[in-house]
Amino acid sequence: MYKALIVDDLEINRELLAEILEDEYSIVLAENGQQALDILTTEDNGISVVLLDLVMPGMDGYQVLEEMSSRSLLDRIPVLVISAESAVMAERRCFDMGVMDFIHKPFDSVLIRKRVENMVELVDYKNQLEEKVREQTDTLREQNGLLREQARKLKERNTKMIDVLGAVVESRNLESGEHIKRVKGFTRLLGEQLMQECPEYGLTQEKMEIIVSAAALHDVGKIAIPDSVLLKPGKLTKEEFEEMKTHTIRGCEILDNVEGAWDEEYGRYCYEICRYHHERYDGRGYPDGLCGEEIPVAAQIVGIADVYDALVSERVYKGAFTEEEAFNMIQGGECGLFSDRILAGFAHVRAAFKELALNQKNHAAQ
Amino acid sequence: MTLRECYESIQGDLDGLIGRVMGEERAERFSMKFLNDQSYSQLMDAIGQGDFENAFRAAHTLKGVCANLGFTKLQEAAAELTEAMRGGTKPENTELIEQTKAEYERTMQALMAYQSSR
Repeated sequence: MYKALIVDDLEINRELLAEILEDEYSIVLAENGQQALDILTTEDNGISVVLLDLVMPGMDGYQVLEEMSSRSLLDRIPVLVISAESAVMAERRCFDMGVMDFIHKPFDSVLIRKRVENMVELVDYKNQLEEKVREQTDTLREQNGLLREQARKLKERNTKMIDVLGAVVESRNLESGEHIKRVKGFTRLLGEQLMQECPEYGLTQEKMEIIVSAAALHDVGKIAIPDSVLLKPGKLTKEEFEEMKTHTIRGCEILDNVEGAWDEEYGRYCYEICRYHHERYDGRGYPDGLCGEEIPVAAQIVGIADVYDALVSERVYKGAFTEEEAFNMIQGGECGLFSDRILAGFAHVRAAFKELALNQKNHAAQ
Repeated sequence: MTLRECYESIQGDLDGLIGRVMGEERAERFSMKFLNDQSYSQLMDAIGQGDFENAFRAAHTLKGVCANLGFTKLQEAAAELTEAMRGGTKPENTELIEQTKAEYERTMQALMAYQSSR
């Protein structure tokens, strides 16, 4: 049974209202505002509706409303003001303060019953809805968290699988997976530097994560190059070099075949890096001879990272250059021409490149 | 004397009361409660002490209870007096106090006459 609190300083009025409502509600009575507040405090959730008189000695109805409002009780407990007050302003003031209904004395018992019933039902319904919304919001938040966690794991696994794929290709080169790791490291260093220096490239941290991950596949096409060319210790003939160059296009063919394995943006970066990481700024690179900013920035970055690593590492066909030699060769255009902006960025992270190359070498030697 | 005759003698609204409390028996019980109601004496005490703030409140209460009980004439007199004292001011027209007094006595006499005839 719902509890109705009747607040009126006059006994006759309290009893009148109690008689009207006692069949359907359990009645709690208060003689003044202070008593009403005490009851609301102790019974808290127990009261479903308040019938409030306005003019009372001591704490009057307005003060009760103010106090209920400051305790945020009016959202939960509907108040019906019953007053002999005929001034319209009093009624307006009550509604402004958040009462749900206003009835003038003399009142009609049937109307009182109906209005109280409506108020209780409405607030009950509202409370139920809010509870339901809260529950559903919690569930959604939880599920959202799980989904995000799964997406994160999936991404992580994806990155690892791509690294494996890159390492498989490299193992034919008789190298460990270290080249891939280093190229990814150099790509990150240079890319994050350019993020700061060259906002016009539109690089963001999210994009950089994808580019770094996709960099692992830059040489995936080498899987299709025969051992006689790939593993040849000496200088390649013109024909052999032409064959070697096709690793860019063949890489893209492989990527085309695994379409659907990653999202569009990821696929696009993989493709750009695979195909264009040997393009050069003056158009003298391969396979397409792209010029200047025709070359996607991701491919330009991985291009430098790849060349730098090749220079400072030992290869079947050459010994390792020192860091200084490698730096000067790239800046001097001996490994093909790069954009001035990218070379500037490269110069600014020179020390970090050196450190990474050294760490990896030490790591490999251990 | 019936309750209806009692109400007629003071031009009260018995049917309104019966409707409010849903039944003649209850109407009688509530109308008799007025014999012990304190709001009139509180009103006169406050006026006697020149405390028009409390007098306003008591008049307001009297007006409310009379409205509910269907004592139309007393309700009207109390209402006029209430408005004359709103804000705690002394009523300019002291006739309003006399008028309320007269209606109260008329109402009480009728109620007591009914009570003794039962």
